[in-house]
This record gives sequence, structure tokens and C-alpha cells, in this order.
Amino acid sequence: MRIDKTHDVIIVGSGVVGSSIAYHLSERKKHSILLIDKGFPLSGTSGSTQAWVWVHSKVPSWYGELSLYSAELYPFLERKIGDVEYKRTGGIAPFFTEAEKEKALKLAEKQAEVGIDIEVLSRDEVLEKEPYLSPNIAGATFSKIDGNVNPFRLVELYIKSAKKNDVQTSFYNQVISIQKNGDIFHLETLKGTFKTKKLVIAGGPWSKELGEMLNVNIPIKQVRGQILITEPLQPFLKHTIGGVRQADNGEVLIGYSKEEVGYDRRTTLDIVQQTAKMAIDFIPHLRRANVVRSFAGIRVIPLDGFPIIGEIPEVEGAYIAAMHSGVTLSPLVGTLLTELLIDGETSIDLSRYSLERFNESNIKSI
Amino acid sequence: MDKSTIVCRCEEINIDEIENALKNGAQTFDDIKRLTRTGMGSCQSKVCLHPVREIIADYHNKDLQDVGISRMRIPLKPIRMGTLATESKDSNVASVFGESVEEGDENR
Repeated sequence: MRIDKTHDVIIVGSGVVGSSIAYHLSERKKHSILLIDKGFPLSGTSGSTQAWVWVHSKVPSWYGELSLYSAELYPFLERKIGDVEYKRTGGIAPFFTEAEKEKALKLAEKQAEVGIDIEVLSRDEVLEKEPYLSPNIAGATFSKIDGNVNPFRLVELYIKSAKKNDVQTSFYNQVISIQKNGDIFHLETLKGTFKTKKLVIAGGPWSKELGEMLNVNIPIKQVRGQILITEPLQPFLKHTIGGVRQADNGEVLIGYSKEEVGYDRRTTLDIVQQTAKMAIDFIPHLRRANVVRSFAGIRVIPLDGFPIIGEIPEVEGAYIAAMHSGVTLSPLVGTLLTELLIDGETSIDLSRYSLERFNESNIKSI
Repeated sequence: MDKSTIVCRCEEINIDEIENALKNGAQTFDDIKRLTRTGMGSCQSKVCLHPVREIIADYHNKDLQDVGISRMRIPLKPIRMGTLATESKDSNVASVFGESVEEGDENR
């Protein structure tokens, strides 16, 4: 690669969000694009996830709606980039007390307003769908729209397809500093200086440090999630269950822990034990299953919980895409950033997701 | 050795597939693992770790001692879920439904 070349777009971060943006941008064949990452694809957050494509319990409903649009893009995406093992299994979120049923009905009513169909199931109805769920549950919300995907295939195929469209990649190449000279960004990296007209920050939890290089505060926190994997079991779970899913190879993934411990990616015995208890609370038969591995990932959670997508107001030519549910949202976010970078406007209004919402003057005016 | 020789027996991954991951820029065992599933099966890389390290060393022209091992995680050998759960006390584990309702209550 000629280092003195000025790219049209450099995307920093090759996780599910950055690689989706690279792929969708490259489809339009307008830009010379470089995708850069401090590690190797899948070495960070996108390689340590249960990879639900999850919609129905995302609230408020405008956030549910965004997730819905993205889930709807998956079948189409798969026809373009290849088999990412997307399965629209339907999603079940169990609750354990009768009192929660009222809340479930309210959720169903709210989500119906944006077109997300939710059924509130009684205990017996849930057990009819998933006979191995605990008889101690009181009921569940259910929606056909939820599912899951193979995150390894997804990121690999985003990148492969992007490369076919001439996207260049530079992995194991950490960005050290970013300067803007006139309209051009200069990225000082471990492998030299790269220049670009437009810059997209898609570093997941590491976006905070990338923002600092531009003197911009990216208001996100790092949250560790730990997950258990069982030995392969007979296929017995059909749906994606809030907290649990069974992969095609029979392994069951379990976990929904949240800890704020910075970038520490260790798995810890206490959470592993709590997760094992959760597994048995949900599915008593799992008591006799063997656990073969645990893993942990650092999620990025914006301070108000909602995605940050769009221009960085103080720095012309710089864009940000940071969100917790990158797997669910990646097809849509790739599409929207492409529209924003090429057409200058998006088919879905992104003002709710702008970085600007965190500015103090805006917070005061709400 | 023939390129079709199986290196990872749990996931049936051969030398050719591992070299292909290296050609795509993989450098570590775990890079190869996430692309090919090598080492993700029931033995958790106990069988394939060193053969794969040798392939990495050959490909990158490194000494074997300069090629790291895979990341080891709890439990190092399979353990019953019920056994793991016995010591569990209060929980940092959230419920998807409970969380949704909580956030919805904020009336944003």
C-alpha cells in the first residue's frame, strides 16, 4: 500500500460495526476505503458475544423500531455476503412473577405501535414452545422477529466482501494519534501515517480513546459480559431465549452479566458460578450438562444506553458509530453511515442518535 | 504431511484451513481459532495447540518458543453445571425482561 495516498474514508475498528460500514460503503464503489484495527478481526467485542439479533424488548419503542429495521435487513444481507447462519428463531424473554405480567402487556402494547408483534405467553404456552424451560416461570414475552447469527461468519464475510470491493485493510496496526491538517486527517499508526478525507470511529469500547485523539469526549462506558458454553447437547432449544441460546452444533451459550471493570477481559469464578445458577434457574435440565468453557467480552454502553451514530459535530469529516447491540444493528448502521457519507442524508432520522445529545447545553434544554 | 491432515480433531480442521487463515493475516492461535473453530471443541485446544503452534512458527518463520498459546479459560476441564452453581450467592446477572421493563419505566 502506498502510504502517501490520501484515502476517501478510513474506518478505525474492524468489529461488526466497522466492517459492516466498510462493506456497505464499498458496495457503492465511490470511495477508496481503508479499514484499520489495532488487533485482528474478532479479537475484541465482536468475537465474544452470544450474537442475538434481538428486537422485542428494546425500549423505548423508537429504539425497538431501529432494531426491527436492522433485523429485517439480515435475510437480504445474507443473500449478498453469504451464509452468516442467521436464524430467525423467535425470541422468548421469561419472567418469574405474576406481577410482571402487567408490565409485559404494557410492553406488548407499546411495541405494537411501531410494528413489533409481541405475544404475552402464559406459563403453559411458554412450556409448549420450549418444554425444557423451568416450570417456575410465570410467563414470557415472545416475538417471531428475534433470532441469532454466527458472529465469526458475520464479521469474516463483511470483511471478505468488502475486500472484493477493493477495501484495503491494515490489521495489528494501532492508531497512535490523529491530527487534522486543513481538510485532511493524518493518522499516526504503528505502521506509518495514513491520510484520509473522512474518518469513521467504530472502535467499540475503545472508541473513547480514539475520540480523545480528536479532543472529543465519546460518552461510553465499558461493561464486561461473561458467558458459559456447554458441551454439545441434543438439539432441545428452538428459540433464542433472553440469556440462553443453543447453537447449531448443540452447544448452549448462557450469560447476561454486567460488570464495570474497564478493559479487564478475565472470566471470574463468582460470575461463572452465578451464570451457572441462572442457567439452571432457566432450564433445570442443564444441571447435568458439562460446561467446557467460559469467555468474556467488553461491551460498549453509551451513557444513556442508546446508540451514538452520525457526524461528530466539532470535527468536520469525522463520524462515530458506537453502540451496545452492534450485532443486531450492524446491517442498518452500515447502510445508514453509507447514506450519510455518500448522500449526506439518511433514510432514517438519526437526530435521536447524535453525539450532540450529550452536550451540556442540550441536556439542560431537555 | 498432506495438507488435508486433520490437526484439530474436535472440529475436524486440517492444515490447509489453518494455512488459509494465516494467509488472511491471522497471527496467533486465537486468531486462527476464531476463523476456523480450531480449538473450540470439547478438548479446548489440548490436542491441537502444539501442532497449530508449529504451523504458525513455520509460516511466520519463527521459533516455536516465540509462538504464544491459546487463551485458557475456566473451567480447564469440563465440569457439571450443577457443581459450578452450588457456591453461587447474589447475582450480577440481569434478566432481559426485567431490564427492559426497568428502562421502559423511565418514560423516555
